[in-house]
Amino acid sequence: MAVFAERYPSDAKVVRMALGSSFVALFLGGLMGLIQALHRTGYLRIIDDSTYYTVLTLHGVALVLLFTIFFLVGFFHWAVVDSLDRTSESTRFTQLWYALMSLGAAMSSVTILGGFVGEVDVSADVLYTFYTPLEAHPLFYAGLAMFLVGTWLAGVDWFRSWYNWKQSHGGERTPLRTFMVLTTMLMWYLATFGVAAAVLVFILPWTLGLVDTVNPLLTRTLFWFFGHPVVYFWLMPVYMLWYVILPKLAGGRLFSDPLARIVFVLFLILSVPTGIHHQYLDPGIAEGFKFLATSNTMFLLLPSLLTAFTVVASLEHGARQRGGTGYVGWLRALPWRKPAFTGMALAGLMFAAAGFSGMVNAGLNLNYLVHNTLWVPGHFHLTVGTAVALSFMASTYWFLPKITGREIFSRRLGLAQVLTWFFGMVLMSNAMHRAGVGGVPRRTADPTYEGVEFTSVLGNINELRLQIALGGVILSLSLVLFFTHLLLSWFDIGTSRQATADSIPPALSGPENAPKVLENLQLWSGIAIVLVLLTYVLPIAAIVSGNGWFGSVEHPAGMVEPIWLLALDIGRQHLAVMV
Amino acid sequence: MEIHRYEKLWFGAALVLIVGFIATVVYGAAGVGISMVDDDGGTIDPNNVTDHPKFEQTGLHEAEGDDADYEASVIARRFIFQGADPLEVPENSVITFYITSPDVVHGFKIVDTNANTMVIPGQVTEMTVEFDEPGEYGILCSEFCGAGHENMAGQLTVVPEEEWGGLGGDS
Amino acid sequence: MSQASEPADPEVEMEREIEHDEFDPIGTLVLIAIYFLIISALWIFMYFIEFLGRPTPMVV
Ligand code: HEM
Ligand SMILES: [Cu+2]
Ligand SMILES: [Cu+2]
Repeated sequence: MAVFAERYPSDAKVVRMALGSSFVALFLGGLMGLIQALHRTGYLRIIDDSTYYTVLTLHGVALVLLFTIFFLVGFFHWAVVDSLDRTSESTRFTQLWYALMSLGAAMSSVTILGGFVGEVDVSADVLYTFYTPLEAHPLFYAGLAMFLVGTWLAGVDWFRSWYNWKQSHGGERTPLRTFMVLTTMLMWYLATFGVAAAVLVFILPWTLGLVDTVNPLLTRTLFWFFGHPVVYFWLMPVYMLWYVILPKLAGGRLFSDPLARIVFVLFLILSVPTGIHHQYLDPGIAEGFKFLATSNTMFLLLPSLLTAFTVVASLEHGARQRGGTGYVGWLRALPWRKPAFTGMALAGLMFAAAGFSGMVNAGLNLNYLVHNTLWVPGHFHLTVGTAVALSFMASTYWFLPKITGREIFSRRLGLAQVLTWFFGMVLMSNAMHRAGVGGVPRRTADPTYEGVEFTSVLGNINELRLQIALGGVILSLSLVLFFTHLLLSWFDIGTSRQATADSIPPALSGPENAPKVLENLQLWSGIAIVLVLLTYVLPIAAIVSGNGWFGSVEHPAGMVEPIWLLALDIGRQHLAVMV
Repeated sequence: MEIHRYEKLWFGAALVLIVGFIATVVYGAAGVGISMVDDDGGTIDPNNVTDHPKFEQTGLHEAEGDDADYEASVIARRFIFQGADPLEVPENSVITFYITSPDVVHGFKIVDTNANTMVIPGQVTEMTVEFDEPGEYGILCSEFCGAGHENMAGQLTVVPEEEWGGLGGDS
Repeated sequence: MSQASEPADPEVEMEREIEHDEFDPIGTLVLIAIYFLIISALWIFMYFIEFLGRPTPMVV
């Protein structure tokens, strides 16, 4: 069998473009990360404190929205086409969603970059959470909305393929990879409802001057309605990699296909009704709703804990087939010289650590200890910043040949890259966690305050500061290696060997063992919707009855004004100067 | 569907963990008496915060009920904490904070304590804390609120009982 | 399934083929038990020592 790029050239092209966009975002975002790590620790300050927030907005948006989601759509497109073994129904349609996403991403990014240029009035210094009444230029929100619509259409594309596939494969189980894509997209449709409502109904009309006021607690709640499940959106392609690709690289087979399906169904059902756990310390939300979010979140641990078992067991299976023995000695029989394997395995290890800090975040009253401290970025640099980002980078060493048709440049370089990321992140994230427990806040250009001494449990604050900066430098070095390798492999510079095709071995316990009801996506979506209504209708009703749908907060002084009021405003200022 | 017995074992252990976590936080709430910031503070007109009875005056005053010893009203605004810069309270006193914002979302975090909350325009944050240890505590804004956010800080001084001169008194 | 017997990845040298029923993931059980102990201990440390050791918002 030929490789994917030869079998489905037009699909491979879209996958390549999506990955290309993803890596551009990674590059931009990574650069901002380095600036932040050095700036807030005080080692190197090439920007003003006030510009720090432009940098941080770009870091957040580029990495957690653009890098992750562009990679996801590329990878999912491959997964659907390859596992159903049929090209997309319409190449034009596929290109359409990619174009919408790219245009939207460009609009938002340009608006953020405007913040670096003092002379223009286009900016979006609102961070990736854009809590109102912080206000960005309308182009920022419009771009995000367009990007989102692109992802929706991508889902439509994949559902169409599946639907048509079913017509000729009556009674067959949906292939695992397609099943994972479809459940993830259903979760995504449900989740994005919140942010789409926040942007289209409330924020955009307000920045355009169509309505005068906003309700900050409402838009914030709608954001987190989306903001928690979005983390599973980043994670689902990684779970697919861990379930489907990692065991194969280890020389084994997935332990249980039915369990993998159950895990994805659990994510569909439980991801959304948990968002309030980001609002444990918000006024205006009753304690009962917060407790409900806690217990939902804790139960959402279950699919991840089950994944840990299945994935490790699949690796152990591979190791034992390769001759591994002993209780832990089998670990040595794993293919540690393959960058794709090592990177993804280390990413999994870091995710296990992240599980712990996530449990602390989720712990209702325990959240008082860590909320909005550096502990939180410490946590998500392990989740999205490593479990996801490192898995994506590492999988590229395996994935790129599929979509370019050529082998990668060098495994050694790849191995060095994934290892430096791992070590850099161990340093940076660990120090962030500890500094956070010592009270150091996140999202600040300069966490030093007159008369305030942060005391940390383990290690003193200056050492932690050094470790954050050093970790940031090592991570950036890792990115340099990644991009060097990527360019050499992609553009035929360093390599011209033809890629050899390989296949994904069937699971030890196959899909035929899965209960049929798992295929009933309507049922699972229905349950998910009911749970969302149960957790969100009452708190939102309370918020609205308190401050109204549109609240009463106007545009705070010093914010970007609606564009057509700008001219008027400048005129007024000139008058004021003259008087 | 076949499930390996080790997997069943782990499933059970995972449930024990989950239930254990939930039990811990319930113990924190019911046993220790930790209260979450919630909707008790009510809402407020963000454009006229000083019309609200709690914010006619900022700073420390006598508590209305007997639940707390004192009340502290704080207006968090870009880039100061009005009423908490500094705020002096006596040792071993129970303080109920009322905090609101007339502009954007802020955070209110007292370093070295678990007093940590969001401040949202239109909402009043109510939070009661007891301070037993005399000392100086920094108060930080823990949510990005605009260029200048990094300078937004206040100060809480817990004064030893014998030095406390009473409300308005100098210590 | 029949495809299972051909090695999926030509580079993987396989010493033996192990099917579902003859495979006991004992190594996995060991690792995951260690994980269980670590997070339980850390949880207790974070909750009862770090957290409950400080002034905390209380019900009045
Ligand atoms: C070169 C590698 C990286 C470095 C040096 C780095 C550094 C940092 C630092 C120091 C912060 C804290 C800023 C603050 O709160 O003041 C931060 C925030 C953040 N980072 Fe990274 N990071 C890197 C990679 C990543 C990756 C790969 C991701 C995700 C895929 C990521 C996602 C985030 C997010 C979401 C935030 C929070 C932004 C916010 O608070 O609005 N970072 N990063
Ligand atoms: Cu969350
Ligand atoms: Cu602030």
